[in-house]
Amino acid sequence: MIRRTQLRTLAFLTVFASLLVTAACSDDDDSSNGGGDDSGSEESSSGGGGVLDEVVDRDTLNCGVNNSVPGFGFQTEEGTYEGFDIDYCKAVAAAVLGDAEKVEYLALTPEQRLPALESGEIDMLSRNTTWVSSRDGAGGGAFVTTTFYDGQAMMVPTASGVTSIDGLADATVCLTAGTTTEQNLADRMADIPHTPQTFEENPQVQEAFLAGQCDAWTSDQSQLAGIRSSWPADQGGPEALTILDEIFSKEPLGPAVRDGDSEWYDIVNWVVLATIEAEELGVTSENIDEMLESEDPEVRRFLGQPVEGEDGEAVVEHGFGVGPEFTVDVIRAVGNYGEIYDRNVGPGSPLGLDRTGTANALWTDGGLHYSPPFR
Amino acid sequence: MSTPAGERTRGSLAAVFFDVRVLRVLGQVVAILALVTLALYLQDNYQANTRDRSGQSGWGFLDEPTGFNIAYADFRSTQPVRDAIWVGVRNTAASAAVGIALATAIGVTVGVLRLSHSWVARKAATLYVEVLRNVPVLLVILFTGAWLQTLPRSTEAYELGGLIEISNRELVFFGTTLNIPYVALTAALALYHGSHIAEIVRGSIQAVPLGQTEAATALGLSDLQRLRFVLLPQAFRIGLPPTINQFLSLTKNTSLGIAVAYSDVSSLGFRLIGARSPALQTIIVLMIVYLVFSLTISLVFNLLNRRLQLVER
Repeated sequence: MIRRTQLRTLAFLTVFASLLVTAACSDDDDSSNGGGDDSGSEESSSGGGGVLDEVVDRDTLNCGVNNSVPGFGFQTEEGTYEGFDIDYCKAVAAAVLGDAEKVEYLALTPEQRLPALESGEIDMLSRNTTWVSSRDGAGGGAFVTTTFYDGQAMMVPTASGVTSIDGLADATVCLTAGTTTEQNLADRMADIPHTPQTFEENPQVQEAFLAGQCDAWTSDQSQLAGIRSSWPADQGGPEALTILDEIFSKEPLGPAVRDGDSEWYDIVNWVVLATIEAEELGVTSENIDEMLESEDPEVRRFLGQPVEGEDGEAVVEHGFGVGPEFTVDVIRAVGNYGEIYDRNVGPGSPLGLDRTGTANALWTDGGLHYSPPFR
Repeated sequence: MSTPAGERTRGSLAAVFFDVRVLRVLGQVVAILALVTLALYLQDNYQANTRDRSGQSGWGFLDEPTGFNIAYADFRSTQPVRDAIWVGVRNTAASAAVGIALATAIGVTVGVLRLSHSWVARKAATLYVEVLRNVPVLLVILFTGAWLQTLPRSTEAYELGGLIEISNRELVFFGTTLNIPYVALTAALALYHGSHIAEIVRGSIQAVPLGQTEAATALGLSDLQRLRFVLLPQAFRIGLPPTINQFLSLTKNTSLGIAVAYSDVSSLGFRLIGARSPALQTIIVLMIVYLVFSLTISLVFNLLNRRLQLVER
């Protein structure tokens, strides 16, 4: 009897020890960053890591989004998602799958958003995320063209009469922790004495603001606009708040994809650029059918229509995995940049952000939105 | 024919491994190897991942400028991170020290009241204890924060001859200014841990042998004298270790300060991480801070405990 248990113990210890030795001696090979090719074929044409194939196989686009920022990423009471960033998810789904509704939305916190992208849980991130160098690099993301040029701004009660940040001496400025908001505030108000109050979340700041503990609220302009748009009517509604004109940081927002799959990057990037180019060319979701018959070669090339050339008719072949008429699918689904902007955050929407004269205008109007040619 | 464990049954080398003593030692060696392998693997994993990511895998971040301001502190945003952490340590200590003092005062008072002859006092004390004990401390903190928000706005502050000023931004008493976040956190912690200490006090008094109470009464001591000279000193010895626990708990609960915008060391740590200090190292620093606080409190009060312990014959 004794001998059998001893034998068993010995056997167990031997196996365990040899497992340890194997683990200790094996190569510590670091997880390869990017190139998510755990499934799907490697046949993609240009440096692909197979995300396009995965999405097509799955017949759904997994999109990482926000669910609590009105105008950008917001989940309604019925459970549907709407917003500026949501529209870009729909645009990519329309381009790749032909159907803007074939999207699986995943609401993420700021801490989760980049890891979810890196791990492959989502195919693209469209969650009012600022494009900064460290997120492109170590963060494992690759940012496509900026869709919204945002920046940090200051919001004050209209009744206070404050018209500029320089008028906030000795004020208590409230904000939420966790992003670069605090640093930008410190930089801007370096020579103006003030008391910063850092809370955990927006609802707490709102309570403090209503109670009069804060003289001002600082955050990204888009966030402030969303908060202002849903300010309770018994507190004076949106008119009770004023967002000061000055923008004191650069927060270029845009979708991001995983590092290492340049084909997928091209697709998402050119979907964004398609919306911008469409606005420049005057193509809208309303007139797209007429535009398909247009004689203008630039419009025809953009819409993937045959163009008369020296050697006969030619159709643009982009070569990144979607057909030349993807632009048509995109514009039909969500419209051009101007339509997306106006629908979600424009002057006619609750947020009421006017893009005239700002960075969010087209380059032809003095803004920064500029698309390379579709040819 | 069973053989006693430990005796070799055969003279061969193989038999060595069947010896229970050998197996025990072997088992321990394997366990140590397992722990070391695990530690090395975790270390290696961490190194590899931080190399891939921020490239900041050292302690250099402590010298970098903080980049933001801290309310109610003499602090410039250009000062290094380690100064910011020091402000946090001071804030945590301030809240913890006053919190501990107040909690003890509340706890002893309420604990004694729970044993009062007066029905009203007893019931009131019981109500207080049962409510505060059974609610999560974060909710108590949020509650005091919300309640203090109902104080008048600073433009309409309640003033008493320039000596007292009450608003929902600060309280001024005879020249001392207390900011509301500090008051909210400290008051909440004092109330919450006060209820726990009250229970400890009540329990310790009741744990004093009944004979002591009877003898004290027989000697003609009044209730207050009995409490002061016989019961409390003995109860104190019984109640001190669990009370030390409450002190430690209170110190750690100051980490919830961010709920009321108080800049304790944990809140500052999170804000530093948001401003791109490396997360793992920052949290390690925070853990060391709390470790030092806890060990200090334990040490001081355990010394006190040892001096007061009854020497048994």
